[in-house]
Amino acid sequence: MTEVLAFILAGGRVDELGGLTRYRPKSAVPFGGLYRIIDFPLSNLMHSGIRYVGVLSQYRSSPLINHVLDGSSWDFYGRNRQLKLLPPFKGEKESDWYNGTVDAVYQNLDFVRSIQPDLVLILSGDHIYKMDYRPLIRFHVEKKADLTIAFVRVPPEESYRFGVAEIGGSGSEPGGPVLRYLEKPEKADLEWASMTIYVFSTAFLMHCVNDAIGLLREQPTVEFGRDVIARMVQQGGGKYRIFGYKFSGYWGYTRTIPEFWAANMDLLYRPDRIDLEKWQVRTNLDHRGIKERIPAVYRPGARVVNSMICHGCEIRGEVVNSILSPGVVVEKGARIFNSIIMFDSHVGRNTFLNNVILDVDVTVADGVVLGTEDDLSPNAGQVCVVGEGESVTHEAAEKLRQTGIL
Amino acid sequence: MRDVLVMILAGGVGKRLSVLSMLRAKPAVPFGGIYRIIDFTLSNVMHSGLTHVAVLPQYKPLSLIEHIGIGLPWDFNGRTRSINILPPSTGKKSSDWYRGTADAVRQNLDYIRSMDPEIVLVLSGDHIYRMDYMEMIQFHRHCDADVTIGMIRVPQEEASQFGIASLDATGRIVDWEEKPAVPKSDLASMGIYVFSASFLIRQLEELTGDDFGHDLIPHFVREHRAYGYRFDGYWRDVGTVQAYWESNMEIFDETSGINLKEWKVATNFDEEGRIGDRPPMRIGPEGRVENSFISHGCRIDGKVIHSVLSPGVVVEKGAVVRNSIIFHDTVVGESSTLDYCIVDKNVEIGKNCRLGDPSAGSGHLCLIGKWAKIPDGMRIGKYCKVYPLTDLSKGSRRVIPDFEEAGEPPI
Repeated sequence: MTEVLAFILAGGRVDELGGLTRYRPKSAVPFGGLYRIIDFPLSNLMHSGIRYVGVLSQYRSSPLINHVLDGSSWDFYGRNRQLKLLPPFKGEKESDWYNGTVDAVYQNLDFVRSIQPDLVLILSGDHIYKMDYRPLIRFHVEKKADLTIAFVRVPPEESYRFGVAEIGGSGSEPGGPVLRYLEKPEKADLEWASMTIYVFSTAFLMHCVNDAIGLLREQPTVEFGRDVIARMVQQGGGKYRIFGYKFSGYWGYTRTIPEFWAANMDLLYRPDRIDLEKWQVRTNLDHRGIKERIPAVYRPGARVVNSMICHGCEIRGEVVNSILSPGVVVEKGARIFNSIIMFDSHVGRNTFLNNVILDVDVTVADGVVLGTEDDLSPNAGQVCVVGEGESVTHEAAEKLRQTGIL
Repeated sequence: MRDVLVMILAGGVGKRLSVLSMLRAKPAVPFGGIYRIIDFTLSNVMHSGLTHVAVLPQYKPLSLIEHIGIGLPWDFNGRTRSINILPPSTGKKSSDWYRGTADAVRQNLDYIRSMDPEIVLVLSGDHIYRMDYMEMIQFHRHCDADVTIGMIRVPQEEASQFGIASLDATGRIVDWEEKPAVPKSDLASMGIYVFSASFLIRQLEELTGDDFGHDLIPHFVREHRAYGYRFDGYWRDVGTVQAYWESNMEIFDETSGINLKEWKVATNFDEEGRIGDRPPMRIGPEGRVENSFISHGCRIDGKVIHSVLSPGVVVEKGAVVRNSIIFHDTVVGESSTLDYCIVDKNVEIGKNCRLGDPSAGSGHLCLIGKWAKIPDGMRIGKYCKVYPLTDLSKGSRRVIPDFEEAGEPPI
């Protein structure tokens, strides 16, 4: 049996997510009402039968630690399984934060040595997708690869945002050798974007990381995409066996607010592509007392259309094309369209919300209007965000109209 | 020495719950979407700060044993806490089934002695209420009572279903009648007993009689210090399908006194059909929900009005569910209509069916047992009963008239 150790890079903040990552890393941002973004890779790992996981955290890690805990929610707690949270630490030689993804892995090579895996699977904690990693691993083993990277097809005009590659081999195989790789190119005709899912043979990982870490003398961070993959493909001269694996399922890329909002909306509009019931996503039911909550109550006056509603919600108003996390209260006369309302937020009487994201514990005062009343269709470009714990008064609503964020 | 040992009598057959209790004990019957009836008692015990619990099952205990597990949801698992399941067993002096409430406790006297409590609190696992038992125990101690019985006022016409007591000004029981034809008072026993442990052990050793209410309490009232503790909150004995339905519907009646949010009822999220692993409920573009209580993982593309849905229920396009209770993972097919129904788990209802009757009311509910199959176009009237596991698609019957039943009772 091939023993696999998975690392999830879950420390990033991602500035473009603005208000949502004010107090938490991106991996801990709520998604789909009930879940956190990191639930997706964690659930994938569980369903793929992978038993050893390290979660690399850094930015504002406490919400993430609260959520992941000992990993028992994803069945990583037991005699022959383990999930370990790996925050930055003070070492003998140097006491420092993780300077990029490669450095994060470099600083935890002891953990790799203690598990002694055959392969190391490196994932990022901020994508929405369902993937069985076993065919990817099988492909890697069959090809006797040093490194296999999962790719997904994106429109060429989007390629400047990703690491993109040209993948060789016959079309009948699940993938082929990586012939070219460009990290976030200004212009490219390449359509296969890296999902930042890497399968490394352990020895090769050690080699790459030890080799690349020296770059820290010249640059502030060392990253897998830019400093390892691109260099190994270009400079290796075919010395290394680097393969691409083509993935064709749903891949929610949530780097910006409109993307985050749109991926949530896919739950309502594209159930054929993203189906949480089929995906069997798991979350920590003790986090924010999910377990303690009662089923959703629909009071007289409630009107709910094309929406996802979690338990503990109490609805007296109108909810259309929206996603409500546990414990959201919608008062009488409230009208909510195309919005994402996170845990325990309270939407007051006779309010109007359109294309809004409310983070957790937000209060919207009676009569407040957020978003346009002229157009009730979903509009990613119009989305505005209210940060955790904010109180939206009429004055605050005015500020939000000007800045798009509160 | 432990302060208080709790014994929950969970053996009830619940015959009047009809098809709902044919495959499970009454305390294990689902309630309020995600709960089971016994969750209310177990949560009361937890919130009262009591930490040593025994559950005495008998009839079809499988669902119950699985539900209780190791007691984690109610925090009974830990260094100084315990929950034990005490089924009837052979090999004791009286190697026999539990013959009644008192007999069930009597057959576990060894267990009580080994736990060595000061107080034994005997509860029944089949009522819907929220109560702090510590207040009642304080009252018991204050009165220096041998036994204290929880009492609640009930409508006079229902009083003959209960043990009925008369109290003096200090709370001492001066008169007791078990299920009297003509009740002298409206103060009914809730089936909750606080015993001084040494008294309980001595009495059960010395006396015969298998039922507390019927055989032993009258004796205690005459010969010993028996007190009544008045409780005036929401309390329902959901022993009939009508009372069961009404209590469920009171969940979203804000004036009823039942408040699940405040009561903080805990249930087991990890058992069969794992509640917690279900996605949020989805209401489709044509779906509509009014005045209802809807659990995780439901998919609503039709209309749901004044109803309680357990996890995983599917209501397809054009279907209408009114005044009904539907248990886990049942599917209501396209354009079918349900009025005044209770539908158990995993029932398949086809398209264009009509079940129940809009005029039926809670007195004439249509009951569909677990794993039943109802084919397309089926008509089932009010006050009908379809037994568990009945596959109506196999027969040629397409109409079950009012007051009739289909299928056979399961073994």
